[in-house]
Amino acid sequence: MRRSLPAALIVAFGIVLLLDFVLVNPTLAGLADALLELVVLLAAAAALAGAFVLVLRHWTDLVERRRDPTGSLVLLGGFAAMLLAGFYPGSSGASDPAVRWLVAALLAPLVASLFAMLFVFLLAAARRGLAVRTRQASVMLAAALVVVALLLPIGGAAGTWLAAVATWTMDVPIGAVFRGLLIGVAVVTAVHASRVLLAVDGADD
Amino acid sequence: MAPMTERIESSAELPTADQPPAPRTRGRPRRRPRGIGLGWLALLALLAAAMIGAPGDRSAALTLPNPDGGAVIRLRAEFGRLPDLPFVLVGMDADLGTYPEIRPAIRAAFDDLMRRGASLAFVSLTAEGRAIAAAEVERLHAMGARDGALLDIGYVAGVEAGLVRLVGTALPASATGQLADAVRRRGGGLAAFDLALLVGGSDVGPRTWIEQVAPRLPDLPLVAIAPTFAQPELSPYLRSGQLTALLATVRDAAAYVEVVSGEGLTPLPDEPQRDQSPSALAMLVGMVVALLVLARLLFGAIPAIGRRSPHEANDEEGP
Repeated sequence: MRRSLPAALIVAFGIVLLLDFVLVNPTLAGLADALLELVVLLAAAAALAGAFVLVLRHWTDLVERRRDPTGSLVLLGGFAAMLLAGFYPGSSGASDPAVRWLVAALLAPLVASLFAMLFVFLLAAARRGLAVRTRQASVMLAAALVVVALLLPIGGAAGTWLAAVATWTMDVPIGAVFRGLLIGVAVVTAVHASRVLLAVDGADD
Repeated sequence: MAPMTERIESSAELPTADQPPAPRTRGRPRRRPRGIGLGWLALLALLAAAMIGAPGDRSAALTLPNPDGGAVIRLRAEFGRLPDLPFVLVGMDADLGTYPEIRPAIRAAFDDLMRRGASLAFVSLTAEGRAIAAAEVERLHAMGARDGALLDIGYVAGVEAGLVRLVGTALPASATGQLADAVRRRGGGLAAFDLALLVGGSDVGPRTWIEQVAPRLPDLPLVAIAPTFAQPELSPYLRSGQLTALLATVRDAAAYVEVVSGEGLTPLPDEPQRDQSPSALAMLVGMVVALLVLARLLFGAIPAIGRRSPHEANDEEGP
């Protein structure tokens, strides 16, 4: 009974949304819409609160010279620059040229560079994986080797053959694994949701 | 600095598969084998040179566009089934890290759709998607999109809950313009659109749309353009028909861009150079490097496959 109120709310909200999904009833639809509106507002408020807590924490770190003050300074500087670009008098918000410049010329290249480094880090991780779990990592590496070979951008008859095999691999073995995975995830989610809705012991903890 | 150096050295010398871990010594740090750093540097320099110096590397032996044009044919067939002057909703939830991979295909799709007289409405469920959508809407305006053909619905918080809400009420109260008025006349929800073009990223993607929107609006066709890593996750939905078309590899995207380019792309004056598909030669060099490294690791590990590594032995002994 420790968490009976949250569990009761989840059950009530879940049943209303579930009924709204299967029944056509204006009153029920109105109630479901109101609940969804509430969730959307809560999510927006949580995002704002998260940003506020992030700034507060890094401000404290900077003032008290804890952890990584330089990193905190960079974060707060970036935050301030983006807010200024979006909120200065006369700014058009997210579509303002200053915001678009910050995103296109600064943020996008930085994030894309981080993603590009995955190439090197994945190979290094493969090496370490082999040292820790030889058999499992070998299977994974062999599969990776095959997939990379199938996707080589070569032309001619060899390229056409590789493309056909790549499509078959994606549709049949890999597709089967992912279908199984998705069905498994859906079944587990449905079972867990049912346990919550039926208030089966322990499901709300 | 001394402790830092020691930590780096020790992490670089993880035991290999066929070698038990050596006891850590506190003495002089061991030197790395000569040439390892130079080898990496040479490979990266080769890759960089291929990326910079290989425009127009199309030949019979080297080609980026996928010879299997099935994905492109399905996408164009879906576009071809649209009515005259269709309303298309763009669910822009790409992320800044993977967007460069799919950007040429996305822009080609906008061109393809607008050439068919489509009006585009943009909505995002992620902050990064919102930033990208704002930039793309501005770009389409700058390209001279016809009046009233574009609508920026903006950012919707709450991901799944926000999506379910969009089904009934897609337009914010402040939305104005020809497209907004036309969507309101059609009910104001997602059902007002003839097609949803979903742009996926690493956070929210077409899968969320399929889960939340497809069961509520089974008649709304969903097509997706996503980065390569999302292909295995999305392919089953393509086979089941919940997704009617999908472009999810660099090669499929390049094939699509080539087809649309053949009909005349309309990039901005400063774009042709930086908005082209990646170089096939650079991709080939990178993949050959990956193949060589992976093969070397794999063959090096073969003698140790039958044996248990120290970590596995520890796991099996239990606590």
